[in-house]
Amino acid sequence: MSTSDDGRFGDPEAPRSLEARLRALGEELAVPAPPPADVARAVRARLQDGRAARSRARWRPSPRVAAAVVAALMAVLLGATPQGRAAVVSVLRFAGVEIDVGGAGPLPTRAPGPLPSERRVTLEEARRTVRFPIVVPAVLGEPVDVRIADGGRVVTLRWPGIRLDEFDGTLGVVWHKELGGPWPEQVSAVGGWWIRQPHGVSYVPSGGGTPREERAAGPTLIWQHGLVGLRLEGPDDRAEAVRIALSVR
Amino acid sequence: MDDDEAVTRALAGDLDAYEVLVTRYSAVAHRTASLLGAGDEAEDVVQEAFVKAFRHLGGFRRGSSFRPWLLRIVANETHDLTRSRGRRSDLTVRLSGVREPYGPDDPEGAAVDADGKARLLAAVRALPEREREVVVCRYFLQLSEAETAEVLGVRLGTVKSRTFRALRRLREEVGDEHL
Repeated sequence: MSTSDDGRFGDPEAPRSLEARLRALGEELAVPAPPPADVARAVRARLQDGRAARSRARWRPSPRVAAAVVAALMAVLLGATPQGRAAVVSVLRFAGVEIDVGGAGPLPTRAPGPLPSERRVTLEEARRTVRFPIVVPAVLGEPVDVRIADGGRVVTLRWPGIRLDEFDGTLGVVWHKELGGPWPEQVSAVGGWWIRQPHGVSYVPSGGGTPREERAAGPTLIWQHGLVGLRLEGPDDRAEAVRIALSVR
Repeated sequence: MDDDEAVTRALAGDLDAYEVLVTRYSAVAHRTASLLGAGDEAEDVVQEAFVKAFRHLGGFRRGSSFRPWLLRIVANETHDLTRSRGRRSDLTVRLSGVREPYGPDDPEGAAVDADGKARLLAAVRALPEREREVVVCRYFLQLSEAETAEVLGVRLGTVKSRTFRALRRLREEVGDEHL
């Protein structure tokens, strides 16, 4: 029995092989699809709407939450006291990441842009350049893309669908995040935090300064390995993110 | 604009360039979602997949082929959908111009199914899910073995062995001869 690609170029009079029959059958299967231009418009609208993937299913604020957010924003706009505002927006600072919880507006619409003076390097080059030890999750293997940015302050490793930022987690704020509730979940397995909802993230350049424009980020795991701060974005599932985090070497 | 240029521009936030990719791969994405079991929800799955692909474009390995990378996201979305519905991912498509369903209770169906297509489709539907997915990718979507492996997220050897088992099962069911 053969599983080779026979039948396609054979004698047309010969009995057709099962594989050729399957291909012919596939060509007759009616699959309705909307006009591609309509799909392109719909996708574009959703991207511009700043809604991250699955936002409809997992992150549509209930009317009560939406009302609370509106009320909170109104309080700020109407000149509520600083104490009043602090009650609305809680700040979590951890491993170089500052997270504002509770005061987020709509998700930003920007797609990920490059970090300051970002350039592509090899893993070896990155290891020689930056001052902190770079770790790699064993379960993901060699990254397909390695970038260093902002004078070696941040290293970004990428695998298909996964992004891991590594940075010195002891010297001030590197990332600023804004989210509506709920509060991030503490992940004791890695001593970090899991942000399960899409949220806005911006990079805070070295020496302070104005944060870069906000972009939308998906669910993210933040933790610290030694002195290195890490943020892992890509896995939508907390268990999967933790499995990756636990395998860093 | 070729795929690589479109990806480069889209990575820089150019939504026009991304529209080019969406338009180019919309049909095959719908076909993939639908044949892998998304059924009526193929349109939602495809939109979701394109939005997600844009978000994760940074993870696309430059210089490799965009199509199987995208179709893997479509396949994963389809998989998540069927799992979240707690149902088996059925092959719900219809054969154009062929009377269905074919079954033992439907002797007339057999009479009009002169070339055995409905019978073959019924046999594909009855395959175990993992084997059916490989048949869908290899023959209905006409992907290569390597593309099939990428789309389904399995090793090349797994694609080969599942194809082998699926074809053996189909032969037992419908024979290997031209009807």
